[in-house]
Amino acid sequence: MKKLVYTVFIVFWAAILTLLAVRVLTPQADFESVEIERDGIEIENGEPVDGHRQRFTLEDVAEHDTLDDCWMVIEGKVHDFTDYVPRHPAPPSVLEPWCGTEATEGMRSKGDDEDHSRRAWRLAENYRIGVVAEAN
Amino acid sequence: MPKRQFPGRGLIWAAAMIPVVVALAAIDPKDVSSAAAGLNYLGRLCGLAGMVMLLLAAALSARVPGFDRWFGGLTKLWKTHHFLGAGSLLLLMAHPLLLALAETPGSLEAAVTLLFPSIGEWQIWTGWLALVLMMAFLAPSFAFFGRPDYQHWKTLHRLAGPAVLLALLHAYQYGRTLPMNAERWLWPMLAVLAVGAVSWRFVFSRRVGRLKYTVERVISVANNLVELVLKPAGRRHLNYDAGQFVYLAAFDESLSDGYAEEHPYTLSSAPGEDVLRIAIKGLGDASRAIQTIRPGSRVTVEGPYGRFFPDDEPERQLWIAGGIGITPFLGRARHLYRQGRSLDVHLIYCAQDEERARFLDELTAIAEEVDGMQVTPHYFYRQGPLDQDFLVAEVAGPADRMAFICGPQPLNDLAKRLLSGLGLSSRNIRTEEFELL
Repeated sequence: MKKLVYTVFIVFWAAILTLLAVRVLTPQADFESVEIERDGIEIENGEPVDGHRQRFTLEDVAEHDTLDDCWMVIEGKVHDFTDYVPRHPAPPSVLEPWCGTEATEGMRSKGDDEDHSRRAWRLAENYRIGVVAEAN
Repeated sequence: MPKRQFPGRGLIWAAAMIPVVVALAAIDPKDVSSAAAGLNYLGRLCGLAGMVMLLLAAALSARVPGFDRWFGGLTKLWKTHHFLGAGSLLLLMAHPLLLALAETPGSLEAAVTLLFPSIGEWQIWTGWLALVLMMAFLAPSFAFFGRPDYQHWKTLHRLAGPAVLLALLHAYQYGRTLPMNAERWLWPMLAVLAVGAVSWRFVFSRRVGRLKYTVERVISVANNLVELVLKPAGRRHLNYDAGQFVYLAAFDESLSDGYAEEHPYTLSSAPGEDVLRIAIKGLGDASRAIQTIRPGSRVTVEGPYGRFFPDDEPERQLWIAGGIGITPFLGRARHLYRQGRSLDVHLIYCAQDEERARFLDELTAIAEEVDGMQVTPHYFYRQGPLDQDFLVAEVAGPADRMAFICGPQPLNDLAKRLLSGLGLSSRNIRTEEFELL
């Protein structure tokens, strides 16, 4: 038992240090230019690539109001969080009422007046699919 | 003695598994919809299980006298505590690694920022701090950096308190692995249990659990072995069975080491005696120092713990003692003698040589008075390790007896093997370890 715990202890730090080392040694630019494809929409540097900068109305967004198809508007930007729902720290039931809605308040308040972290805001950018069309 | 009489271990492990089983039963297909989601789920599950095990280990540390009987004695309870701690550390190390790995398909950057977010994200940092503290307080328990010193280990182990609190703060911020937000009440419930146990241990048991005694006499049995004779200094005194042990703390300022530290020692007196007797061999710094404790010194005694001998006495018994492991048998033999009882029991006393067979004269004298009791010494320097031939030649019908073994771990293991070889089922073999680490 002692050997097992000690081995995992060493493996743990080896893995953490490797991860950090790779991160430090790899030029930053490589990460920034990584292109992520999500639902056919190319995203670069957290911005949808031109041509995919789609415009949606609030009515469009409202159609995606379930956990299996969950869009949200945050500060004028439209996000498709369907893939992210199972990875969100709070239970899906917390997110469900915000699906298909203008959810800036939820993002800013987290239910108890606490803003989401910078990491969370950056992460949200990865799920951005477009912007809200100006009201006619 | 059927094993099912000690349900403690099984119950604790079942309790540790319940949250995992519930989480798995309520698994969402989305949790395993991709490799990344699966790793993320596994990471959360490890966090959940590791946390539950950590809190149960903390709850077990209360050392409430009597409770250890559910486990077949305090050393067995400590073993469960030890394995819960090991399991918890393993799972909680896997927890951040798996969560970070789950991010790598997105980008390595995301994985690294998950592990090392900005300073303001205390939800993650409390988790980190708890894990590093865990590594620190568990390092001696798993001999990361060599064999630890008992008191050192004990002091470092107190970091468990802050580690558990930080881990709770971290865990309470998350919670989507159990159905119906069950984490919301699971963590507070387990926290109350763990904090209650620790407060019992460090606040309540210090005032109520520790009984006051005075050292009446210090009998020097050999150059590194004394028997302390303690008389009650307060109104309450200890009720115990023969062969149980206590945590003793000595308050003699002339001691070169171990002042006010508590250490476990087996009682060598018979329950009916007016005094408590504790035979102590100088094995570590504190037990060496206590050899010179002055009569009249104040000590406290907490216990009793252990249940080496069962309540319902088996008719035919075999006792195998090694070295200072003789103490529980000494207490038991003195008890038989005082009660004027008869018992078919054969004691094999393994010692290095005649010089080190302490208390043998007294035990032989008792055996002459107690009908059915026999004592046979076994000397390593002359006869080598204990073997089956010796047992068969000396003990009448060894396989029909209930065996009790107390000695150093290698002797315990050897004796268990020999007795199994003679056809004793494991339920008829009881061992008592006195090494807790």
